[in-house]
Amino acid sequence: MTRTDSFAERRAARLAHAPAPPPVQVRRSTADGDVVHIVQGEQFVSEDPNLVIATLLGSCVAACLRDPIAKVGGMNHFLLPGSNSPRGEAEDLGIGVHAMELLVNALLSHGARRERIEAKLFGGAQVVAGLTAIGEKNASFAEDFLHREGIQHVGGSLRGDAGRRLQFWPVSGRARQVFMGSVAPELIARETRAIVVPKGEDSGELDLF
Amino acid sequence: MSKIVLTVDDSRTMRDMLRLALVDAGFEVIQAEDGVHGLEVLQGAHPHVIITDINMPRMDGYGFMQGVRSDPQHRAVPILVLTTESSAEKKLRARDAGATGWIVKPFDPQKLVDAINRVAA
Repeated sequence: MTRTDSFAERRAARLAHAPAPPPVQVRRSTADGDVVHIVQGEQFVSEDPNLVIATLLGSCVAACLRDPIAKVGGMNHFLLPGSNSPRGEAEDLGIGVHAMELLVNALLSHGARRERIEAKLFGGAQVVAGLTAIGEKNASFAEDFLHREGIQHVGGSLRGDAGRRLQFWPVSGRARQVFMGSVAPELIARETRAIVVPKGEDSGELDLF
Repeated sequence: MSKIVLTVDDSRTMRDMLRLALVDAGFEVIQAEDGVHGLEVLQGAHPHVIITDINMPRMDGYGFMQGVRSDPQHRAVPILVLTTESSAEKKLRARDAGATGWIVKPFDPQKLVDAINRVAA
């Protein structure tokens, strides 16, 4: 009995201190269908064939995953900040792995099967000459992750020195990118400010039953 | 004598990260790729603590925990769930399946080591 009570109490206490919900993603409806824009640290998954997921990429990477049989797909958008210390390297890896795992799990919960998932990778540009090769680091991480996990890498566009406007249709798997001749200053500002790590307030904490 | 930890996760990257973190902390680590593999590994191993993911092919974390709890040899081993999920409903289901505790990814290596030492004590 006490076990049940203490669990309920702890749960109530946790709910009372629950972190604020993530910002609501804005869905714009147009004659061509709905558009959902995501930014760094976000992801979106859909089974709607008329919906398009859009984002702007500089040195960040977006992974576009879909299962052609389950007819579901989704996109994330992450940035490994490019630390040089061993501890920073491990933290970078953690950010990327977490972003990818969240997206894969979201697809699985919509009926996708891991072995059927097809991935396209975009981004990882070297947008500021002279800075450390953050784009390269992000591109390599994403390629290595797919390889290690046995997820099919079927296309996309990585590296280069131009930012990208990306659109992805999660059900058909179609992707369209437009290079931005010169990267918008606000995009660079957004990517180089403090990194938003997508994790909950109590991530990593032990919750005993 | 170092404590033995069994980790069960279908992601190779996650297995590598867990192995690095736990070996660094002095644990002996054995690993499985899903629930079915985890139960097979337990035929010949006696870990002090088990860490398992929830979303896995063939047999998920709930089925794996039920299998462990119905095995007289391992029914008392502490099991920590390590997952991206955080819903109260899934936590309750895990508790009912025999979980000892729940940790939401991404994991912090030191906090994970502390959690293992706490439930293994």
